[in-house]
Amino acid sequence: MKQLGSLLLAEIIKEHRHSFHSKMIYFSLLVWPVINFVTAYYSFAPFRMGADSPLARFISYEQLPLFLLTGYLGYIFYWCLVQSSWQMSFERQAGTMEMIFISPVNRLAFLYGRSLSSLIEGVWLFFCFVLLALFFVDGIQLSGWWAPPLAFLILLVSAIVWGGFLCVLFLFSRDSSFLYTVLDEPMLIFSGVRLPPMAFPVWAKVISFCFPLTYALQLIRELLMEGASLQTMLPSMGLLAAVLLVLVTATVVLLKQAEKHMKKTGNMVMY
Amino acid sequence: MFHVAKATFIRNTRVMIRAYPWSFVIGHIFSGVYTVLFAFFAYHYVFAGQLDENFAHLTGSSDYLSYAILGGAFYAFAVSTLMNVSRSLITELREGTLEAVLLTPSLRRGYFLGNVAQQLMRTLFEFSVIVLVGALFGLTLSHTNVWSAVLVWILSTGAFFCQALVLGSLMLWFRDTYITQNTLFAVMAFVSGVTFPIPYLPEWVQPLGLIMPLAPALDAFRQCVIQGAPLHAVSPQLFHMAALSLIYLVIGVWGIRRMEKRVMESIFG
Repeated sequence: MKQLGSLLLAEIIKEHRHSFHSKMIYFSLLVWPVINFVTAYYSFAPFRMGADSPLARFISYEQLPLFLLTGYLGYIFYWCLVQSSWQMSFERQAGTMEMIFISPVNRLAFLYGRSLSSLIEGVWLFFCFVLLALFFVDGIQLSGWWAPPLAFLILLVSAIVWGGFLCVLFLFSRDSSFLYTVLDEPMLIFSGVRLPPMAFPVWAKVISFCFPLTYALQLIRELLMEGASLQTMLPSMGLLAAVLLVLVTATVVLLKQAEKHMKKTGNMVMY
Repeated sequence: MFHVAKATFIRNTRVMIRAYPWSFVIGHIFSGVYTVLFAFFAYHYVFAGQLDENFAHLTGSSDYLSYAILGGAFYAFAVSTLMNVSRSLITELREGTLEAVLLTPSLRRGYFLGNVAQQLMRTLFEFSVIVLVGALFGLTLSHTNVWSAVLVWILSTGAFFCQALVLGSLMLWFRDTYITQNTLFAVMAFVSGVTFPIPYLPEWVQPLGLIMPLAPALDAFRQCVIQGAPLHAVSPQLFHMAALSLIYLVIGVWGIRRMEKRVMESIFG
């Protein structure tokens, strides 16, 4: 256990040093999300707004900024992880992947340490932004004083699991930017970051149920926008827990497969 | 010069097919398709086809879906051109072939020409795919003035190429592709009227759109495709684009030369 902890810590420190070599990184952490958020907000401008707008069937007009804000908060959490797992392919290009797999490191600790590393730094910045924004946006209905910390915990756990799962996927190929595209942007569309998933046609709903972010956002919005009680949130909590369990299992299985595959082909650097 | 261009073209195509078969092409197509999807969902399912009164007045037509789909396709095309041309030198640097490129007596113009030609092939493919998907989701092409649209498209390629030179020298300066390019793309999506008309923005942000070739290019392209405007009707936008191209070209050529010197001294010196 102690060894696991030190492994996790080592991986976190390594990744942090690796990705925080320059001040420019803060750009990607704060400036992009802000620009993207504002762009998303204005994307609604061409539509008819106001109390009688068709939008009111899903969200009240006053809550739209808050809806987008919670959506983007969740998305940033997840995005940071997609980022760090995407960096996995750089390990391959740099030739360090071999060393990691030759060493007796616990593979899972390595994966989840990787996920954790980017999360901490990515999130605190955006969190500041969100807290500030929350003061300027109305329509907040908290379930209680414990709602924000619980929301944070839900995001944190689900994002780490998702990140670990992605890291494993990126173990299979050197050219992973393709996967990145397939997994990153659909999350924006289908998980209900910018549009309420309840409005989607059935085929799109099916896709949105494949992303853990969908369930996490549902919970976050219940906590921060509807002020739902714990009893009413139990079904959605159960759902999220089940999805995460499936993801962790898939991660473990795929990791074994990936390592087997690499040992068989003797190929940890090239394609 | 054309020998060099041809050789570069063939080499890049081979690299693309062998080493990076999926990544960028699929990536650009997907990001365009997502914009299409967002527009489609928002218009049909969330807002039940109801638009703001000002929209038709600002854009000259009430066809939101065509507006947004063309925006997405054109934005993907801009990003693709900017990215691949500007990354060409830094990719050489990363793959260790920059030294060879700088040492050869072959013309640098030819090298860039080959790059652009290969670009055109790729972006044309990407663009067509996105427009095809868009046509499934409600893009109407019945009024299109094909020749002027094609011409605007070609001129835009030139404009983006000039902008890519500046971006490329910035990348060599920072030795980073990721942050520079994505910051530019995020700002571009925000101020150039990709998914919503520029006048909806607060007034102090709007001038930013003036320095992006994407804004006039997209405006002209939409007029040609949605309303079937002839070429002379969009001449102000074309002049705007030409002026921007010239400015970017001058800065870009100067920048690339400076950077080459710097790279020579710092890396191979």
